[in-house]
Amino acid sequence: MWWGGRGQSFNIAPQKEEPEMGELEEDLNLSSLDPPVSEEWVYTCGQHWNGHNLASPVGEQILAWAPGVRKGLEPELPGTLICTNLRVTFQPCGWQRRQETPLSSDYDFALVNIGQLEAVSSLSRVQLHRPGSLLKFIPEEILIHGRDFRLLRVGFEAGGLEPQAFQVTMAIVQARAQSSQTQQYSGITLSKAGQSSGSRKSPIPLLETPEDWETERKKQGANSWRVSLVNERFDVATSLPRYFWVPNRTLDSEVRRAFGHFHQGRGPRLSWHHPGGSDLLRCGGFYTASDPNKEDIRSVESMLQAGHSDVVLVDTMDELPSLADVQLAHLRLRALCLPDSSVSEDKWLSALEGTRWLDYVRSCLRKASDISVLVTSRVRSVVLQERGDRDFNGLLSSLVQLLSAPEARTLLGFQSLVQREWVAAGHPFLTRLGVTGVSEKAPVFLLFLDCVWQLLQQFPAEFEFSEFFLLALHDSVRVPDTLTFLRDNPWERGKQSGQFNSYTQVYTPGYSHPPAGNSINSQLSVWDWDLRYSNEQILQFHNPGYDPEHCQDSWLPRQQRGLSAPTITGLQDELSRLQELIKKWTPRTSPEDRSQKGDPNPILSQSR
Amino acid sequence: EIHTNEKEVTEKEVTLHLLPGEQLLCEASTVLKYVQEDSCQRGIYGKLVCTDFKIAFLGDDESALDSDETQFKNKIIGENDITLHCVDQIYGVFDEKKKTLFGQLKKYPEKLIIHCKDLRVFHFCLRYTKEEEVKRIVSGIVHHTLATKRLKRLFLFSYATAVHSNTPTNPKNHTVMFDTLEDWCWELERTKGSMKYKAVSVNEGYKVCERLPAYFVVPAPLPEESVSRFQGHGIPIWCWSYHNGCALLKMSALPKEQDDGILQTHKNFLDGIYRVIHRPPYEIVKTEDLSSNFLSLPDIQTAYSKFKQLFLIDNSTEFWDTDIKWFSLLESSSWLDIIRRCLKKAIEVIECLDAQNTSVLLVEENASDLCCLVSSLVQVMMDPHCRTRAGFQSLVQKEWVAGGHCFLDRCNHLRQSDKEEVPVFLLFLDCVWQLVHQHPPAFEFTETYLTVLSDSLYIPIFSTFFFNSPHQKEMNLGREGQDAHSTPLHLLTVWDWSVQFESRAQALLQNPLYVEKPKLDKGQRKGTHLKHQRQLSLPLTQSKSSPKRGFFREETDHLIKNLLGKRISKLINYSDELQDSFREFYDSWHSKPADYHGLLLPHIEGPEIRVWAQRYLRWIPEAQILGGGAVAMTSRLVGMMEEVRSLQEKINERHHHQTALPAEAPSLLRSSARLSSLFPFALLQRHSSKPVLPTSGWKALGDEEDLARREDEFVDLGEV
Repeated sequence: MWWGGRGQSFNIAPQKEEPEMGELEEDLNLSSLDPPVSEEWVYTCGQHWNGHNLASPVGEQILAWAPGVRKGLEPELPGTLICTNLRVTFQPCGWQRRQETPLSSDYDFALVNIGQLEAVSSLSRVQLHRPGSLLKFIPEEILIHGRDFRLLRVGFEAGGLEPQAFQVTMAIVQARAQSSQTQQYSGITLSKAGQSSGSRKSPIPLLETPEDWETERKKQGANSWRVSLVNERFDVATSLPRYFWVPNRTLDSEVRRAFGHFHQGRGPRLSWHHPGGSDLLRCGGFYTASDPNKEDIRSVESMLQAGHSDVVLVDTMDELPSLADVQLAHLRLRALCLPDSSVSEDKWLSALEGTRWLDYVRSCLRKASDISVLVTSRVRSVVLQERGDRDFNGLLSSLVQLLSAPEARTLLGFQSLVQREWVAAGHPFLTRLGVTGVSEKAPVFLLFLDCVWQLLQQFPAEFEFSEFFLLALHDSVRVPDTLTFLRDNPWERGKQSGQFNSYTQVYTPGYSHPPAGNSINSQLSVWDWDLRYSNEQILQFHNPGYDPEHCQDSWLPRQQRGLSAPTITGLQDELSRLQELIKKWTPRTSPEDRSQKGDPNPILSQSR
Repeated sequence: EIHTNEKEVTEKEVTLHLLPGEQLLCEASTVLKYVQEDSCQRGIYGKLVCTDFKIAFLGDDESALDSDETQFKNKIIGENDITLHCVDQIYGVFDEKKKTLFGQLKKYPEKLIIHCKDLRVFHFCLRYTKEEEVKRIVSGIVHHTLATKRLKRLFLFSYATAVHSNTPTNPKNHTVMFDTLEDWCWELERTKGSMKYKAVSVNEGYKVCERLPAYFVVPAPLPEESVSRFQGHGIPIWCWSYHNGCALLKMSALPKEQDDGILQTHKNFLDGIYRVIHRPPYEIVKTEDLSSNFLSLPDIQTAYSKFKQLFLIDNSTEFWDTDIKWFSLLESSSWLDIIRRCLKKAIEVIECLDAQNTSVLLVEENASDLCCLVSSLVQVMMDPHCRTRAGFQSLVQKEWVAGGHCFLDRCNHLRQSDKEEVPVFLLFLDCVWQLVHQHPPAFEFTETYLTVLSDSLYIPIFSTFFFNSPHQKEMNLGREGQDAHSTPLHLLTVWDWSVQFESRAQALLQNPLYVEKPKLDKGQRKGTHLKHQRQLSLPLTQSKSSPKRGFFREETDHLIKNLLGKRISKLINYSDELQDSFREFYDSWHSKPADYHGLLLPHIEGPEIRVWAQRYLRWIPEAQILGGGAVAMTSRLVGMMEEVRSLQEKINERHHHQTALPAEAPSLLRSSARLSSLFPFALLQRHSSKPVLPTSGWKALGDEEDLARREDEFVDLGEV
């Protein structure tokens, strides 16, 4: 591929900035030198601050800063290390954040993204964990380990500025602690975007209304299923979505009774209906202490069978790694991929093998492909059963769909898949990613993304999205912009969206109509990519090698670019340009006119 | 004495195709050949044949395979043919036990397993064959493949004698063979090295040295008589000049002596040589001793023999067993690490030539193994001409064939010594593959080209890889010529690809992504290109011109050097300090966008060195991805290029005749079949139990009942 690579990551600051310098100034208590000329200009320069530019979201406050030198990579860059209440960022001297290259915000670390913090002096090297942990020396260097595999090393200059170095270090420690204590991840950066988008519609259905579920059900052609409203008040299970699919013939009262016999009330629900007639279901483990009567057993059975004569019950955890395994493997993998990894090049492969991460990826893929054979070619219904039903069930069910349904491999389809099987289904993102500090940390979602990446590697022409898109999704997991990944279950997310709406009501001149907080659609999700990525970058989400025959309506309009290389993107541009020209000259070309010409192309003709 | 009794070939199998001069030696019928298909094995009955060129299996139901499956068919070597030189190891199975076969056999096996050097594995079951036929075929095969041969008994000569009357084909197709003085002068001109270096004919008729080619290039002021002083040892021989004037030189070391007196003479001689090449206008020269501090030939041999074992797999159980420990097995073979070290060494040399304006002198015992490897790698990375097909072939001619790489010994073609068998050339091809894999648009040829080139090492109708030196070739041809005929034998060169492949198959050797350099020096344009590529006129994204290019800069460089008197005639050796400058050079190159027509460096970090899947995994059905891999992208890309071309044509037409021709919309021609990731190989394994991603929505496939009845390509996996 022509982007990405080891140790590269993209983390982009919000871009939809409003040209309201007055407010920005107040928030940051900074003075701007020149009045902004245009919106773009504002973005370009953000704030003039001590000669450095900080494109900054509203509500961001600079807590401390110190001049320093970025180390570890060639060349060393002089600049400034800034700590705000949202992030830690390094601003190289004379560096301008430009619209065309927002990628260069390589030096931004959202506070939640900071995994480890180390202060180094010639005498000692300490890890700073808690706000109480006092720094007993003036740091000469600070190491920030991002959870997304990045490492920022900043050396401080001597010569009178030591207090500043000390201050900024302590500020980072404190800001980080505060941000995780209060869990105030959302809101601040969103207020701005919230106004500007007004009643913007989510780019993909968030599955928070019965209508969304009904539409999706129809799309899948699941005619013997209906949307159940039984959990509308989250009284069946807080970790379940408010709506889900149950068999037509099952009454809500039966659903309620049957679900009571499953772990945390997560009874069997439809995940995906295969057009061949089989269904893929998921459910939690049986609640061990329950004592079901005959009637209950009957309704549990009928819900599991859902009209099929026989159903394969798959123990999800069989042959798959445990959560602890995944966590350990990921830690090892991260250690291996950090720029300061001590593994020598000739030992890299066995070190990689030693992490067992790829082993786990393999077992997930193998199991998913076995299940997909069952569901598709043998037209057998499958129930995935995992005790909690919130981790590997989502992983397997998503993988099966990716393997069997071409729709799931489009950009739109994949995002709805993640929204349905992970976000709505209540994958405990916050706990698993270890943001809360509670145990049971395990990056199951990242494991899933790696599985998808492997598929993308193996079948580069079958996916509408690119590696870059997966990378963006990977990085978004820790960006505190939206609620999508920063809640443990739909109930908490729903609670929060009430608070969330208040942020959209901040008064701002120029906007007379802040949207009323009742519209659930005004909630922003991670899928609002244009909040964080430029058009240029969003275009790169698109896999240029994807065969357009597979997708009816392309998710993105293709743009023309001036320069084209002999790459697929270049050719596609050339192609669309030429097709435009052809169209101009031949206004009436009916499809019947299209005649097949002999194929002079060796590779293609041979494959026939 | 082995059964060479002639049978009536004409009456025999019509399907056995014999080359001119090829003789049938022995055969056995009702042999069962096992076919690997994932987990299950089936067999085909047929006849096993051994000729003086190949071992062939003639299946009884071959007809089905012949037609459309094998578009990428080799005209010389069929799918079930093994040339005698391609056999690596022969095993016999006696009562379920596998034993290596060699020498005289006392017992005859019930099953014959042949491991080939191109990593195919054949299983022949002899249980249903008549006993005397078993004896004959097994001892015949073992003898003809494993016994020591004389050079003159190579099939090469029988073939050449047989086709002698035929008019020789036009073999060169722009490849410079480096067997004449003109070729060397041409190369000197091309690299602008003729100011400081001269082609000499002192070794004409191999009077001075049998290891050196008849013509070669040395520094201009070097007195010719010093060449003969130590039979060509201790002489700096020119390989290539960079555009800044620095040159890559090689030297075979003087023989090791105990006697102090002789050592002193050596020293004096070398001092004299160094005085010559350190004098202006020559740049400072760094010597790089490849015999010490670098790979040794036994290292390479051990690594490859471990490495190839990973791919010589008998059945799919073995595959899945090794799969679990794949990475550590791969690492313990250290083949990939050897590749990395070669690439790294080449980058170090490049750093001297490019960043430090220093010439480099490679020194090795015979200057014919690692010297060839390093100097060709340097040229592939620095000289875009070497990344064209003609340029690459000329490079192999110059550095390997004329450079006296002992192909005969290194490939062990004559089975004389297993110790000498070291896959140095294959290592080179693997290094080039890493470059091709990392920078596909920079090369005119494809990985398929490299794969078939590596296979051609074992086809004894081409002279290219069957001699130890140009001298040996000349000697063996000349005598034959005088004895039997008035004219010397005409031997084929491997570069005549039409001998092996039809033009349709040859197209797969050509990289569709390659774009010629927009402005080409006239002398440099040698390669042939697909016609439509020029019409595409796609400019490169980042075409930066090399800042150092051009006379002006070169001239001033020298001026400055002379003015400042930077004439340090001291040998500088590598040190830790250099390690830093290497890192800096490497990092700074990779931080900039690559110029495909300029200097090209590979990534050499741990994960970046890959397994050459097409060559090594192509016969393992478990390892292929149907409809996937880079092939999927390439075929899509080629389709689009074709479409762009036809649209462009249409636009041109319309520009010229506004009165339009009948509207003919672009025909969207795409492949209906799904190519394997190991395309164009591994075409024959059609049944795969791996779930293939369906491409179309299910809705298109009809209603549910219909689907339920469908028996798909999926194989029963049993209950989950």
